[in-house]
Amino acid sequence: MDPQKIRNFCIVAHIDHGKSTLADRLLEFTGTISKREMRAQVLDTMDLERERGITIKAQAIRMQYKEYTLNLIDTPGHVDFSYEVSRSLAACEGALLLIDASQGIEAQTLANAYLAINNNLVIIPVINKIDLPNAEVEKTLIELKNAFGIEKEEVILASAKEGKGMIEIIEAIIKKIPAPTGDPNKPLQGLIFDSHYDSYRGVIAYVRIVNGTLKAGGKIKMMGTGSEYEALEVGTLKLGLQKKEELGIGEVGYLISGVKNVRECRVGDTVTDTKNPAEAPLPGYQPIKPMVFCGFYPVNAGDFEHLKEALEKLQLNDAALFYEPESSAALGLGFRCGFLGLLHLEIIQERLEREYNIDLVATAPNVIYKIIKTDGSELFIDNPASFPNPTQITQIEEPFMKLTVFSPSDYVGKIMELAMDKRAEFKGMEYLDPTRVMMTFQIPLSEVISEFHDMLKSCSRGYASMDYELIGYKPSDLVKMDIMLNQESVDALSIIVHREKAYHKGKLLAEKLKEVIPRHQFEIPIQATIGSKVIARETVRAIKKDVLQKCYGGDISRKRKLLEKQKAGKKRMKRIGSVDVPQEAFLAVLRLGK
Amino acid sequence: MIEHLYIHIPFCKKKCPYCNFLSYEGREDQLDAYANYLSNTLTTYMYGQVNDLPLQLPLTTIYFGGGTPSLLTPKQLEKILCGQVYDPPLPEISLEANPATADYVKLKGFREAGVNRLSIGAQSFNDRHLKTLGRIHSSEDVYRIFDDARRAGFDNIGIDIMYALPGQTFDEFKEDINAVLKLNPEHISLYNLEVQAQNFAPLPDNDTEADMYQYAIDKFKEVGYKHYEISNFAKPERECQHNIAYWLNKNYLGIGEGAHSHVDGYRWVAGGEKEAEHGCEKIIMGLRLLEGIAKDNFIGFENEVKELKEQGLLEETAENIKLTHRGLFLANLVFEKFV
Repeated sequence: MDPQKIRNFCIVAHIDHGKSTLADRLLEFTGTISKREMRAQVLDTMDLERERGITIKAQAIRMQYKEYTLNLIDTPGHVDFSYEVSRSLAACEGALLLIDASQGIEAQTLANAYLAINNNLVIIPVINKIDLPNAEVEKTLIELKNAFGIEKEEVILASAKEGKGMIEIIEAIIKKIPAPTGDPNKPLQGLIFDSHYDSYRGVIAYVRIVNGTLKAGGKIKMMGTGSEYEALEVGTLKLGLQKKEELGIGEVGYLISGVKNVRECRVGDTVTDTKNPAEAPLPGYQPIKPMVFCGFYPVNAGDFEHLKEALEKLQLNDAALFYEPESSAALGLGFRCGFLGLLHLEIIQERLEREYNIDLVATAPNVIYKIIKTDGSELFIDNPASFPNPTQITQIEEPFMKLTVFSPSDYVGKIMELAMDKRAEFKGMEYLDPTRVMMTFQIPLSEVISEFHDMLKSCSRGYASMDYELIGYKPSDLVKMDIMLNQESVDALSIIVHREKAYHKGKLLAEKLKEVIPRHQFEIPIQATIGSKVIARETVRAIKKDVLQKCYGGDISRKRKLLEKQKAGKKRMKRIGSVDVPQEAFLAVLRLGK
Repeated sequence: MIEHLYIHIPFCKKKCPYCNFLSYEGREDQLDAYANYLSNTLTTYMYGQVNDLPLQLPLTTIYFGGGTPSLLTPKQLEKILCGQVYDPPLPEISLEANPATADYVKLKGFREAGVNRLSIGAQSFNDRHLKTLGRIHSSEDVYRIFDDARRAGFDNIGIDIMYALPGQTFDEFKEDINAVLKLNPEHISLYNLEVQAQNFAPLPDNDTEADMYQYAIDKFKEVGYKHYEISNFAKPERECQHNIAYWLNKNYLGIGEGAHSHVDGYRWVAGGEKEAEHGCEKIIMGLRLLEGIAKDNFIGFENEVKELKEQGLLEETAENIKLTHRGLFLANLVFEKFV
């Protein structure tokens, strides 16, 4: 195929700015999909994505317009997946920068646009949803000018929902985005920008050919992992897979090579020819670094194997999911799992519960702490339970993020208050236009992963948006707080907190636990401790009466069913020592709020 | 064989918001037809046309439950009983009465038709609480019907009292207990409100509820009532024989819409599918009786019994296993082990 006739592009946008709808319209407009085949948001295939309205797994689709082949590479829209976004962008020459006319520029608009600019992509700005009654096109144009120096004339006004502006967008893609360049005679270099696991065919890798040719039947090698395979099948992507003999430079398509696990076929890796390998891989490959950790434990110990199998299956399709078995004195056998971020964690948890029917106890998420011990050695700890004795610790460091918040200026005071409460350090503020500001902070990741986003939304009536990136480790005055239930320490409830907040959090946590732990036959003291010092104490008093009194006219089955229900409710709880602890108790740690 | 008969009367002047029994409101005009239907049903059973459900005649107990059985006229009641089942006179024919639906004449009619035990749904002597419960009668009505019943010849009267009512204080509860004791009935049933209906004031907390229950137990015992089942108290020899049949997992036949039956290991609702009874049911019913049930009922549950004994919820007598005093208060935790 003539690379001059290929255009590879993606759409970058803040969540909910209409990316999926625009993709749908482009597919329809180019006749790639008939209206009949059209499901809303064709590219988001997982149920969960559909429900949450976000794209988790990127995909690509090929469209034909006149003599041109247009490859749309969809990108995940959440900050947790920024590496995946960057690899998708690297497979393109241009990007549609999509902005909701009623919302203006948001945190992820900016973050993703800069990712695109840094990847040398040509940007085509599109203001979407111009048909909405609350659209503010003029204001959005000014924001684009102020944020990116984009002139009014360059901007396409569109309504993906109404199909307005589609022709302009397609024409701009062809005129403005450069054709791919590459040398067909050089050794093969193909960028893997996504992959997914298919239970019949193994891993299907999505690949963009940079140099050389990828031929079906050839021997190939993944340069990052070093593993070698045979290219069993290659082809292009329409709604399904379209088998081809080969893929040439600039082409976007798929590769099936008998890889059994997406981890062996990493996003960002370079596929090359075994016999005539490229000298170096394409730039930008990064090993996976989980940022957020938590423990997953089956409520019923018997589900451990089932949980293990489920995690194995999920990992087949999610290279960023990390897990290893761990055991907790309180919760028994489970897994310590690592995630790209909190959203990633929630998605996995929900899939385990929903798709695999496992009742889970998830411990409070935490980050990786760096501990410098008195003997000078360094330790990285991903589980509060394995914290060393405080007497052996010289210094504790935690990951800090650069946090960018976009908001109408009315909420600056409240956001500032929230940020200070979350130990953020204010770094600066810029006005995008007279009514919208961008604030930057440095904030510990541990604060970001505990409800920060929800609280930001609630203190700004939903208007503020945020984005964050890792800066590095910095020292903090942290302590480990333990919880004792009925004199027994519950390792799974231990959390790392800032010393100044420990008393307050200890008190809150003890109170919340008192609320959620049902009354037992005996009194249950709840204590929050730091070392051997008790900093908060509550008591769940013994239950004095629990009896069904009325026998309904000989209706014994009803009575039995009520008792069965009560018993089943208890079974869903986790027995720790002699105390039945409901799952909410572990959530309580998460929901400590202010 | 079946010695116990339950007859359901699913009609009420007004339904109470907490009640789970089948009953229709404002359809009393159908009572006549319904009485005919019951009479026919019973005749069919009595003359052996339903062969797999042999009634042992004469029956040991008959119980009219509802709904509101006192909406029946004595004539309708006579019709249902066919004038035959209670000859020779039965030890126990009970009828549930709502205080606002029967006067002296009607009660006398019931007595003459064979009813020898009256169960009065007083629920409370506090008019504010009666109103909350959606009852159609006042405390005055309770005093009146009790007096009428005595005059009509009832020497076996039970009174139902509910407690842990929305917004009920401990003192109000004591007043109810003392009021019922002043009437000196042969039998008292004490039930707590199970469901929290909407728009109700908060129910007393768990501790208060326990204190109320303890107060009643002490008070009733003091004046000579025997606490023979979790919710039931009786003067000597005045236990409700019909309900004891339930608790001892005996055979009983229920007729009328929504009535439950239990015969030879099967349970069903009138007109519904038969279901095999669960092994645990005889235990969770039997343990409701304060004297407990025979040890051989617990075969296969040795570990559960051992654990519950260690927790101080069950104890053993020479022949029986029974709830401890603590177990009475936490009986659900005991029953739960067996389901």
